[in-house]
Amino acid sequence: MRSKSKFLALAATVVATSFGANSLPTIADDTEWAGFVEQVTHTRKEIGLTKFRTGAQLEGLKFVGDVGPFSNVSVGGTVRVTYDGVYKLNEDTYGDKAGGKAFVNSLGLANLGAPTTIEANSPGIGPAGGLAVGNFAVINILGPRVEEIVGAPAGAVSGLLLNNTFVDSYPNNPNEGMITLGEHLHPHGAGVAFGVPVRPCDTDSRGCLNDYFDFDGNELAMPELYSDRADWLRELYVDATLLLEGDDEINFRLGRQQVIWGRTDLFRVLDIINPVDFSRHNIYDELEDIRIPMWMLKTDFRFGPTGAFDDLNAQIVWNFDEFRPNNLGQCGSPYVILDAGCFLRGMKNLWDNGGTVANFAPFDPADPSKGLLATNFGPETIGIRKIHMPEWSLDNTQLGLKVEGVYGDLGWSVNAMTYRSQLPSLRAGGVPVVNPFTGGEAQTWDHLIAFDVYFPRVNMVGGSLDYYSQELDTVIRVEAAYSQGEEFANTLEPELYSENDVFRFVIGLDKNVFIRSINPTRAFLLSGQLFGQQIQDHVTQKATLGTVGMPDWEQNFIATFLIKGWWLSDRLSPELIMAHDFKAGATVIAPKIDWLINDNWQLIFGANIKTGGGDEKFDDCRLCNPFGPFTTSIPGLPEHGAAGLISGSAGLTGFEPLGRFRSGPLGMAEKEDEVQLTIRYRF
Amino acid sequence: MKLTTILSSAVAALVAGSALAAPTQEDVQRSFYPYKNGVPSFNGLSEGMVINQGNVAQFESILDPVMFDHISKGWTQMPVTATTSFDLHPNYVKATADGLGKVSLGDEVGQINGWVAGRPFVEEPSKDDPRAGEKLAWNYKYGYNWGDNAAIYPFYWKYRDMDSGNIERTLKFNFHFLNFKGRVNQDPKPELIPGDDKYRAIYVQVLEPFDVKNTQLLIQRSIDDRKADNSYLYLGFQRRVRRLATEQVTDAFLGSQLMIEDFEGYNGRVSDMNWTYLGTQDVMLPFFNHDEVQLDPETHQDDDGYQVVAMGDKGGCYPQVNWQLRKAYVLESSPIMEGHPISKRVHYIDAQTFTIPRTNIYDAAGKLWKTFIIGQANPERHLPVNKGSGVSIDDAVSMINVQQMKCTTAQFKGQVDKELNPESLFTVQNMRVKGR
Repeated sequence: MRSKSKFLALAATVVATSFGANSLPTIADDTEWAGFVEQVTHTRKEIGLTKFRTGAQLEGLKFVGDVGPFSNVSVGGTVRVTYDGVYKLNEDTYGDKAGGKAFVNSLGLANLGAPTTIEANSPGIGPAGGLAVGNFAVINILGPRVEEIVGAPAGAVSGLLLNNTFVDSYPNNPNEGMITLGEHLHPHGAGVAFGVPVRPCDTDSRGCLNDYFDFDGNELAMPELYSDRADWLRELYVDATLLLEGDDEINFRLGRQQVIWGRTDLFRVLDIINPVDFSRHNIYDELEDIRIPMWMLKTDFRFGPTGAFDDLNAQIVWNFDEFRPNNLGQCGSPYVILDAGCFLRGMKNLWDNGGTVANFAPFDPADPSKGLLATNFGPETIGIRKIHMPEWSLDNTQLGLKVEGVYGDLGWSVNAMTYRSQLPSLRAGGVPVVNPFTGGEAQTWDHLIAFDVYFPRVNMVGGSLDYYSQELDTVIRVEAAYSQGEEFANTLEPELYSENDVFRFVIGLDKNVFIRSINPTRAFLLSGQLFGQQIQDHVTQKATLGTVGMPDWEQNFIATFLIKGWWLSDRLSPELIMAHDFKAGATVIAPKIDWLINDNWQLIFGANIKTGGGDEKFDDCRLCNPFGPFTTSIPGLPEHGAAGLISGSAGLTGFEPLGRFRSGPLGMAEKEDEVQLTIRYRF
Repeated sequence: MKLTTILSSAVAALVAGSALAAPTQEDVQRSFYPYKNGVPSFNGLSEGMVINQGNVAQFESILDPVMFDHISKGWTQMPVTATTSFDLHPNYVKATADGLGKVSLGDEVGQINGWVAGRPFVEEPSKDDPRAGEKLAWNYKYGYNWGDNAAIYPFYWKYRDMDSGNIERTLKFNFHFLNFKGRVNQDPKPELIPGDDKYRAIYVQVLEPFDVKNTQLLIQRSIDDRKADNSYLYLGFQRRVRRLATEQVTDAFLGSQLMIEDFEGYNGRVSDMNWTYLGTQDVMLPFFNHDEVQLDPETHQDDDGYQVVAMGDKGGCYPQVNWQLRKAYVLESSPIMEGHPISKRVHYIDAQTFTIPRTNIYDAAGKLWKTFIIGQANPERHLPVNKGSGVSIDDAVSMINVQQMKCTTAQFKGQVDKELNPESLFTVQNMRVKGR
């Protein structure tokens, strides 16, 4: 990762300065310490060990007292260090020996009676060089039309044009330490796929994205200790209160911290201030443990009862830390949400080193029914060129405003935030590429799957409500957010993305119910939530071969349900969490038993069972015709015009790469059933 | 119903109502100073003696049945001291006198008219009064339990196995109480915020152990008794405030033997219960001087030199305190709500302080489930900050589950100190600010 953040030093200095010699506290109080050490072990069906993490966390709070104009000054902090032995204990899957040969389909080879699955990045074979791979020669990609296009006499061109950039071999990209993209979910069939390096970036740097996914073995195994952003220091902040006239006051919290907005569990609608580390355990750890704390100033203006409101407060959050995106999990680590890290790494490797892409070029351009052939792309043709990680600048800081209060029995908040998207956006159309068929000067191409990664600015307004219904004896929670600036994959756009407004909401109901036949003295907590997402101006349309446009669902819902009980003075607490993605048809069931053996020892045994949803397909832009007419088909497709010179997707579909946006985080983890055991000593 | 029956019922009610004499200043004096002209006595009972398994039989009539049973089984014993007056703050007494005759019950349970501050009903309860129990409940609700404000700071709860004596869990809290209305000492009086709906608020912060550290609870009670409390829970691991449904207040709080509804003897609405006055009785109650009882230096020590009351006897479930023979009103409450986990509570309300030092709780099947002891300490023999507070200090608590043979004991450092209980502490926003 990047060199140590200059901002860390700045922010630490700010915190330290608060306790400079000139502002010695007038009151000394006491100090609180608490923490735990734990051993967390996860095993996955058909994989084996996926986590063997030994960790320790220490939380401290120092009450200082009054300092200058500030009262109730205190310093809080949390330190966490972990070591995950899975990279050694299961190094064949996640460590230095992970991966092997990647295989891709080349279904057109069936016409020759040859095996239709071949090794990725293997030498192109054929007298004219390697457009395609397989044990035969391809005359050229467009047959006689090549001559027509380049103005050569019929029969003058044999094979590809001389200046083409397709390759025969990959000396810098050997087929080792690789997986095939998506192989853990399903065979890619007639779709696209490519090899993806999976070893830690110090062992294999292929496809590693600078400042984003370039974790070496130590960083993966000991993410806090080896972090370039001092992640071992999870939190360090100063709290202080400035008393105003009357009962009004301003509360400050300055330092590395988590700021939580909203009223929902499991999924985030308003809780967007801190990025999240999904590499720790996908979406299944407590958010407290996976939010990435940021250096921020949180200022709460407390007005108390004001006018019609029983309580009124305002909050300004200034996230002045250097931007950090969500950690989606580096390919080759156990938890890679949406398998996005593998797609990104594979695409980066394709750009840097080239590689074989399954089922890409037609076996016979004049007869699409004969299937497609795996194709050897050279470097800097397709893939991800670079990542534009926002540097620290005042303009790149993030600002939030919340007004929160109580009106009668109604708790409410209005929230607004301007921030950087914590998810990457892949923008095409701006990356200069040499036409691989003809050579020549690099230029930008519409609909070419050559991307730069951006984290666009997003503006969000939203709000939340909670209300206790005496009639229903139920707590009702509502949260909604409308954002502008988010970017989504969109194969209808020349840049292959579009900016769309998004409306998200959640309705939650919490009720405590006695089930006396099971537990006569302790009620069960039942909590249900329905999340909705509506992408505004969502577009899809029918193309010749399938649907094109935006793979994300225009409207989708995820329902969650929790039932939790307590026995033995709350020392034994089983729970069951279920979530269902309606459009993806994906379901996860997560039973767990939490046993507080005594005040110190705790044992947690759980499982995580998923079903469905991992088989969504969408337009993969194979027939986007960026290099028309070489990349269209014969007979011509209406999307590409009579001459085959217009770019645009004809709608050929596959699981990869865009089906993941339809499967969602639940569906993409369909094959990740696990059992989990945590033993924790608290002090 | 026949018309004659209706008429006769109405006449009977009218007669019963008119039979209730209007309260007088003498009633005020008698209500607050019941021992002015002498203390109760019982044959064989003397200061310094111990009621134990060997002699308990002769004292059955001055023991509530559960304490009698426990002493009979040898589970505990009862050191006896002289009956002493626990004078409530004179301002509370004055407020009572000022409101005399102005307070009346509404038509339905949970409705009260004319109350500003002080004890609403000072007249002796009568079994002839069908709403006598309800009036006692109001006297408790608007009592001077913790004064205008107080903090239990810190507050140790121990979950104990009564058979083995093992301590299964220890929690450390801070509890804070603030009256928004009916204030008699702390300005502004009698209301903190004129026009505000809140009557009282309780704020709880969990300090230990790690798994529940930073949990916070806020209960805001409306002056309108028929309105549900607004209750909020801040869970440390979620770092956000959750609103609580009512049924959570009848649930074991953090796995203890106490429901939120049990706090202080009864922490619900008057309108949640049917109230029945069962009688007045001289009964042994845990009233004592903190500096005279056995203390527990292991659980808590601080720079003030303060130590909490020790627990002992069977399973360590009994406060090691002294008991006095005191005048008590026996009040039964049974829940109106179907599905409530209990069928009834029988409270022994101290007639002078209107605290509830003894409560026996019966499960939904009517079988004895739990028994609650709240030891009351004289403020003049407690922390310096409590002297002159006129608050009968809750000082040692045990909720014993006799069905499961478990108990939750609570050991206090109760402080009547407005500096510890600013209004800002009792807001939802405070939970967010205090939270991590």
